Amino acid sequence: MKGRVNVALLVGAVLVALVGLAAVVSFFWTPHDPTLVDAARKLREPGGGYLLGADKFGRDTFSQLMVGARTTLYVGIVAVGIAAVLGVPLGMVAGMTPRGWLSELIMRVNDLVFAFPALLLAVMLGAVYGAGTLTAMIAIGVATVPAFARVTRAATLQVMVTDYILAARAAGRRRPAIAVRHVLPNISSMLIVQASVSFAIAILAEAALSFLGFGTRPPTPSWGRMLQESQELLFSTPRLALWPGLAIALAVLGFNLLGDGLRDYLDPRLRRIREQAEPPANGATR
Amino acid sequence: MRRIGTWIAAGGLLLALAACGGGAGGGGGTGTPQAQSLSVGFVAEPANLDFTSTEGAAIPQALLVNVYEGMVKLDQDGKIVPLLAEKWDVSADRKTYTFTLRKDVKFSSGAPFTADDVVFSLDRVKTDWKLKIKSQLDVVDKVEKTDDHTAVVTLKRPSNGFLYSMATRLGAMFSRTGVADLANKPVGTGPYVLGSWRRGDSIQLQPNPSYWGTKPKVPTVTLKYFKDATAMSNALLTGGIDVISAVQAPESLQQFADPNRFQTIEGTTNGEVVLSMNNGRPPFNDKKVRQAVRHAIDHKALLETAWAGRGQPIGSMVPPTDPWYEDRTGDYPYDPAKAKELLGGKTYDVKMRIPNLPYAVASAQVVKSQLAQVGINAEIEPLEFPARWLDQVFTKGDYDLSIINHVEPRDMGIFADKSYYFHYDNPEFGKLLAAADEGTEQEQTDDLKQAAKLLSEDAAADWLFLFPNLIVAKKGVTGLPKNAIAESFDFTALAKQ
Repeated sequence: MKGRVNVALLVGAVLVALVGLAAVVSFFWTPHDPTLVDAARKLREPGGGYLLGADKFGRDTFSQLMVGARTTLYVGIVAVGIAAVLGVPLGMVAGMTPRGWLSELIMRVNDLVFAFPALLLAVMLGAVYGAGTLTAMIAIGVATVPAFARVTRAATLQVMVTDYILAARAAGRRRPAIAVRHVLPNISSMLIVQASVSFAIAILAEAALSFLGFGTRPPTPSWGRMLQESQELLFSTPRLALWPGLAIALAVLGFNLLGDGLRDYLDPRLRRIREQAEPPANGATR
Repeated sequence: MRRIGTWIAAGGLLLALAACGGGAGGGGGTGTPQAQSLSVGFVAEPANLDFTSTEGAAIPQALLVNVYEGMVKLDQDGKIVPLLAEKWDVSADRKTYTFTLRKDVKFSSGAPFTADDVVFSLDRVKTDWKLKIKSQLDVVDKVEKTDDHTAVVTLKRPSNGFLYSMATRLGAMFSRTGVADLANKPVGTGPYVLGSWRRGDSIQLQPNPSYWGTKPKVPTVTLKYFKDATAMSNALLTGGIDVISAVQAPESLQQFADPNRFQTIEGTTNGEVVLSMNNGRPPFNDKKVRQAVRHAIDHKALLETAWAGRGQPIGSMVPPTDPWYEDRTGDYPYDPAKAKELLGGKTYDVKMRIPNLPYAVASAQVVKSQLAQVGINAEIEPLEFPARWLDQVFTKGDYDLSIINHVEPRDMGIFADKSYYFHYDNPEFGKLLAAADEGTEQEQTDDLKQAAKLLSEDAAADWLFLFPNLIVAKKGVTGLPKNAIAESFDFTALAKQ
């Protein structure tokens, strides 16, 4: 492991950092006002202070991409947050009482939500409560809860049979204390990986919803809506579709690579297998 | 998990390409053009074929003039011309209309068309129709038959709107034996009959063998329905259809720029794209704030960015094809400084609740940007159209600003109704409209000009632009209606080489 660069982790981290940087900088500075409509700049070619040109409303594409990154991260963070806050405790309860009726109930309801398509849920919520970033985030978040609950439950089951948990129980620790002090720290690596992968799904879902008109409201820049608005100009000005499309693809790829890389990096079992397969250079064996 | 991750990344790329994939496969055109059939793409499919009980523009668009005919019809310039009536005479007190009917007309069922059918059809509007617009014929006192080919309509008072209504779906002539299943089996006197209807896909019109007039040049016309503007564009590019009846994404016209393959026809419609302001509650119950909005919007820039410069600015609720049209765009020239002055330095937060339709979403972003310059912060909320927008904005009136294309012909009267979602309230306007309907033709024109001016000066709303009629067709298709000012899409003059 030592000396070997985890390429997936590195590329993923760089892509995610780029998106994060664009989002943070957009709070303080963008080259131009991303929502200012100006007919004189309509479909302006790239160059002269307009790095990527302007769209049919005369809005600077680069500024829009920057603020779009903010929207994307915002949706991702809140959606994954909702999923984790609901999913992790449920998964832990199910994992710590594997044969109880509560566990059964949680996991069956979980299956039910899992079977329901996330986008359909979002479109439904949008139709009832009005489309917007908030409903999109809630829908994506709720739809991601089962993934978290399952991963948490599986990890908890593994941890529950370890000696230190047995010791803690023998010492008379109560279940909530065991959960917080012993289970959570030991399953956190799996949760981080899950969060990263869920983030990628959330980004994609937000883009899809905005593309369909059920996500972020205009004129707040969103990569998905940028794609949708560039659709009619595909033949004349393809760059308008290219940039947001590329941004979505790279952001999703980044979070997936980060998740994969983190899994390899954090999972002790996998690390051990790899070390056995490739003995370290100094020839030491276990 | 690695595999799943890869799939998700691939999904991201797919979404990025979804927009790009749209028109990439434009190569596979169909074979030789056949003058025997033609297919036309539309955006909204009728729910059923009964326009006497079901609202919506799609039904008369497909059937009126083509399958059903009235005694009169509108020509391309908005003039009323004879159709099933050879002529009509108006009495001196302008309350009695005597229609002399053509003698050679038969319904597609074979039954002859007589004055009895006129009495039947017009009476039926009162007794059986379920549309709101049927109130336009409340002015009719009685309809009588003098002989088989003469029908006399007596009005309660003189009305200029009556004859115009006769050219709309309200004047469509039905057979006494042909109204059993209007939703599926239309029976009319028109040049076409319903061939087949594949729900969710297309309606095919076949020639009416017993048609009284000139047979249409193209015997079989297929109306093909698309949910998505891009899909319709692609269908034309790949030869699936011959005509796009109404372009929903004007920037996409550039892909039809090749004059060897396509032609673009631009005309006018009756559709005023209105920036409605809720006159019934603050802040837009204040005339000054409404006037500020009108001064704050650069209509030329809006049209250029939101709708590719297609259409034309109008200053009031009258399209240029109506006889009482006057250019009112000069009433409120673009002047942000004046707008700020009218607002007196105050700022406002308002809700702009719009239908999720392409022109509304595009226009709203321009309006928001321009209103922000003068201190009005409008939050855009797109609502699903039609159900949610109709419920929230149109019915409940819960909005400050909205944007909708009012497509009904000669619809200035909606401002006279205080309960209509504009909540515009000026009794003088209502008086002008009433006087116009009863007056002579000259008085009508003068009064309606006056009414349009009053609307504009009161800033009852802002008129963003007149919706253009944009048709794209394959080269060689002729006889397309340039202006969409009647309720129907007239296929009778279509031809294809």
